[in-house]
Amino acid sequence: QQLQQLQQLHVPPAVPEEPGAHGRLRGGDAVLQERRPEGLQVSSGLQDLSLRDRGGRRRDFHDLGVNTRQAMVHVQESKTGFSGRMVKLSTNHFRLTSRPHWALFQYHVGYSPEMEARRLRSALLFQHEDTIGKTHAFDGSILFLPKKLDNKVTELFSRTRNGEDVKITVTLTNELPPTSPTCLQFYNIIFRRLLKMLNLQQIGRNYYNPSDPVSIPNHRLMVWLGFTTSILQYEENIMLCADVSHKVLRGETVLDTMHSIHSQVGEERFRDACAKELIGLIVLTKYNNRTYRIDDIDWDNNPKGTFRKSDGSEMSFVDYYKKQYNIEISDCMQPVLISQLKRRGNIQGSVALIPELCSLTGLTDKMRSDFGMMKDLAIHTRLPPEQRQRELGRLLSYIQKDDNVQKELRNWGLSFDYKSVSFTGRVVQGEKIFQSGTMFDYNPQFADWTKETRGVPLMRAVPLDSWLLIYTRRNYDVANTLLQSLFKVTPAMGIRMSKPSMIEVDDRTETYLRVLQQRVTPDTNIVFCILSSSRKDKYDAIKKYLCTDCPIPSQCVLARTLSKPQTIMTVATKIALQMNCKMGGELWSVEIPLKQVMIVGIDCYHDTVSGKQSIAGFVASLNQPVTRWFSRCVVQSRGQELVDGIKACLQTALRSWSKWNKCLPSRIFVYRDGVGDGQLNTLVNYEVPQFLDCLKGIGTDYSPRLTVIVVKKRVGARFFAEVGGGFRNPPPGTVVDTVVTRPEWYDFFIVSQTVKNGCVAPTHYNVVYDTSQLKPDHVQRLTYKLCHMYYNWSGIIRVPAPCQYAHKLAFLVGQSIHREPNMVLADRLYYL
Amino acid sequence: MDKNFPEESTQVIRFDPPLYKQRYQFVKDLVEKYRPKKVADLGCADCSLLWMLKFYSCIEVLAGLDICANVMKEKMHMLSPLPADYLQPSERSLTVTLHHGSVAHKDPCMLGFDLVTCLEVIEHLEESELKKFPEVVFGFMAPSIVVISTPNSDFNPLLSREMVYRHPDHKFEWSQAEFQSWALEAARCYDYSVEFTGVGQPPTGMEKVGFCTQIGVFVRKHPPTAESVQSEKPTEAVYKTVFKAVYPSLKDGKYLQNAVISEVVFTAQIIKHRLMSKREESGHDPERKSKFQPSMDSFSDYLGKLVVETNVDPFVRGHEVHVPLPTIFAFPKVNRLCGTFEKLCKLIAGKVPLSSDGSAVVFNIQHENEEN
Repeated sequence: QQLQQLQQLHVPPAVPEEPGAHGRLRGGDAVLQERRPEGLQVSSGLQDLSLRDRGGRRRDFHDLGVNTRQAMVHVQESKTGFSGRMVKLSTNHFRLTSRPHWALFQYHVGYSPEMEARRLRSALLFQHEDTIGKTHAFDGSILFLPKKLDNKVTELFSRTRNGEDVKITVTLTNELPPTSPTCLQFYNIIFRRLLKMLNLQQIGRNYYNPSDPVSIPNHRLMVWLGFTTSILQYEENIMLCADVSHKVLRGETVLDTMHSIHSQVGEERFRDACAKELIGLIVLTKYNNRTYRIDDIDWDNNPKGTFRKSDGSEMSFVDYYKKQYNIEISDCMQPVLISQLKRRGNIQGSVALIPELCSLTGLTDKMRSDFGMMKDLAIHTRLPPEQRQRELGRLLSYIQKDDNVQKELRNWGLSFDYKSVSFTGRVVQGEKIFQSGTMFDYNPQFADWTKETRGVPLMRAVPLDSWLLIYTRRNYDVANTLLQSLFKVTPAMGIRMSKPSMIEVDDRTETYLRVLQQRVTPDTNIVFCILSSSRKDKYDAIKKYLCTDCPIPSQCVLARTLSKPQTIMTVATKIALQMNCKMGGELWSVEIPLKQVMIVGIDCYHDTVSGKQSIAGFVASLNQPVTRWFSRCVVQSRGQELVDGIKACLQTALRSWSKWNKCLPSRIFVYRDGVGDGQLNTLVNYEVPQFLDCLKGIGTDYSPRLTVIVVKKRVGARFFAEVGGGFRNPPPGTVVDTVVTRPEWYDFFIVSQTVKNGCVAPTHYNVVYDTSQLKPDHVQRLTYKLCHMYYNWSGIIRVPAPCQYAHKLAFLVGQSIHREPNMVLADRLYYL
Repeated sequence: MDKNFPEESTQVIRFDPPLYKQRYQFVKDLVEKYRPKKVADLGCADCSLLWMLKFYSCIEVLAGLDICANVMKEKMHMLSPLPADYLQPSERSLTVTLHHGSVAHKDPCMLGFDLVTCLEVIEHLEESELKKFPEVVFGFMAPSIVVISTPNSDFNPLLSREMVYRHPDHKFEWSQAEFQSWALEAARCYDYSVEFTGVGQPPTGMEKVGFCTQIGVFVRKHPPTAESVQSEKPTEAVYKTVFKAVYPSLKDGKYLQNAVISEVVFTAQIIKHRLMSKREESGHDPERKSKFQPSMDSFSDYLGKLVVETNVDPFVRGHEVHVPLPTIFAFPKVNRLCGTFEKLCKLIAGKVPLSSDGSAVVFNIQHENEEN
């Protein structure tokens, strides 16, 4: 049986037979090309070049060539808003400049007789550096030069080691202007070359400076400072967008971690605990500069096991590492880690890795929940604006001062502005908060109205006439304290509250479930559980039962949260608000000037641990003030497209809307979150048509105005308000729709939230489809208004509320419920 | 498993593993045997051999020399330290340097090597360069061992190719007799002994033709006298350095200090953790000193057996846990890193919170309890 296990591993431990070989993952360029919209002239050869550089994954991370603005006539002239006051901003973009009349010359290089090996092709070509020059980029068939050769077709003659004469034909195929998409890819390749020249280490997509790490010995962590960079065509210029990035590395191997897990949990739970903690983590191998994701742990294997080499022979891991890297594996009892090699989502085989030779990178969920660790880490990673700009300045000065880098740039005829771009943005006026007929202003600096609305009746308070309070004997006191506090805070909110049925249980999941089965009636408003530990299985079981089999809103709170007398009133207030929303209550509103509008938010959750499910949360407004929401989700197993399910969601949402409003909405806004880098094309070409299709299916005379906006939280752009010669975070409500936006898109940035530490991240909004005929200013304002409507936070958040609701829903389903919740709950925010 | 015999199928001789790999393996075996500290590869081309050699822990200095800078540059970044080298700095130090220059020129950067390899290079040299080669390599560089490989023309008829030489750039290919007479002369002249061997076994029955690649291993007969090293060696640098990488090493104070601090804090935390869970078991009795028995603990296997007997125990005072430095020093990883207790104290001074008398690592546990 052991043998059979081993036979399955065909692929050697993904290490080159020779240094630098990247052979395995190449090929198949043509397929990628098919999916691109026409008019995009990115040569497959160049893609190959860029990917060979990175060694593996191929994906257009910048969504180049998805030109959505051209289809929207009303924003052809201008996509900028006008309201608000001006604010002077600087950013982390740096202009790339090229010589006047600069062009990049693209050549096709042919060999006669045909030569297969790329290295040989390069070697033969570069025998003629006197002709083609010293500055070149060549991927084996496409050659880029900064100069034009004398003739359109140049014939060169070389001789191979075997004495074979080869004719090389270099044909000029293209003269590329600085703004061509191919050139953009080319700039990025050249820039990566520069970073390499600066001796920065590549980990994943970014480059890090290993020589000056910050070590945090308390947690055995090491933080490397590095940079994420991309060069793109922005509104008027080609610019480098550079941001500081931190890589958290751990000074221990996977084997070390396994040992410490073993000492913590003991033999019995060891394997489970390892799987839980290690699967999904990214490891760095000791012997080459590659990163792998741990997909599985093979406990039946060990370093003495064998794998099949590419030539078909069998070799043990111990021998392999000894022979290839002179590495002695000291522990032959350790299991073997399995990493799947994926190419565009398809598994291409797997790689076996030895725990002892793998270093961990990044943080585990367990570490993320360690408050102390995150605090220690934040000191180093949350850089305030001033410091962030200083670090960026350092990168730029490295580039500026390094002779080799400057020479390379000069040879290509390129250079950078070493001062970041500055421009003016707008700060739109703050929104007024309405709650029970009263209007509140709040300090826009803080983006929070907790204080202002404290003790004010809610917009719609749902009474607690019949509810259950479930607790363990140990938490009897806590339960009573909570109850008293709730009785104190609810009257001011206008919530009528009766005494709950107090139910004492022992601390077992089955007991909780039995009590729920016996005591929940159709009249129950809500079930309140005080949990004594953050054990996920109990929480999951309760949520699963009350979201699917017996659809009743529920509130779970950890006893610990309620045990501090100094905070109990604040906590009780928050809980009261949350319960009210879960039962269909409303808290506050902002002015929404549009009539008959339905606002939709979509976000996705991908189960990283089991990798089996994807969940899309779908949330749509139901009423005019957008205070009530219809919520559904789509659960898809791997390989299925989420879009079909989303279409069904939209249909039911429209039905609900018409039930509530006695008509169909005349405008629909879709805020689509959870779109990964490089997926924009799919969204535009598949998902948007499905939305339209769905609307068509409602009725022949029904054609509402549709706006689809892609929301992106993870963007490289950072903005800094220039205040008194220094840099500050821009205030909430800052809108940027010039200079650093993309010319081919109808897009803008909004900084809606505030942060206590570090730099605020703007959210990017890309309107990919719009028949609303609204001015950009109105779309921006509406978007900002919606950031005020998330009821779990009495302040402004990073994304429009429906996106955050959709995220919450998808997360709950993905983490705990794993199937679609009961539709009875759909008109309430039961997942808050 | 290593079949050094060529497969003779329809006249074409193929070696398995390929000949170039056999040459590399030959050098690797030599490195295993002699464990040289400083190794130079003349004509290092794309640095493949250097890349393989960087994994040998005996080597502290690696140098490459080639007449073509571009071919070296193509893959030179393979010789850079990897992230893991920074994460777990090695005990040895390693510097890798690539030079652009000719084996016909003397440069002081090539002095003091233990092993110099020169695989498939001499046959590319012009007559004038070949003439200077022995003086430069044996006379000037004068390493303890020199390995020179070159094609054996006696073998060529078996290769059944139409060309005169195996590579168009070859200026000559020597028979066994030619190579051996050249080598013996050089050895005699510069006081080396030489042994001949090779890789690429001839087919059975044709042993006479010798190895496909012939190799001479030259060993210097006498250690150079202090004088000969000092005197008459020119100090003028003629090679151009195209690449230099200094690997992080525990020999460098900065890395050593980081490693020690990390290990000390980590060890102390495990001891503290252990102490606290013991106290929990035995009920909260702040006065009671817990008995510390590392050999019984499940984690002790992980940290290793104590290398020094210690009877200083960790203890709790008020809101502080004290883990005495001698206890920490007794653990093998810390012990090996620091060597002496004094060094331990010096390295962590000011970097790790210590008790007022500096005898113990101190943790404040007041806030920890609040968090939970």
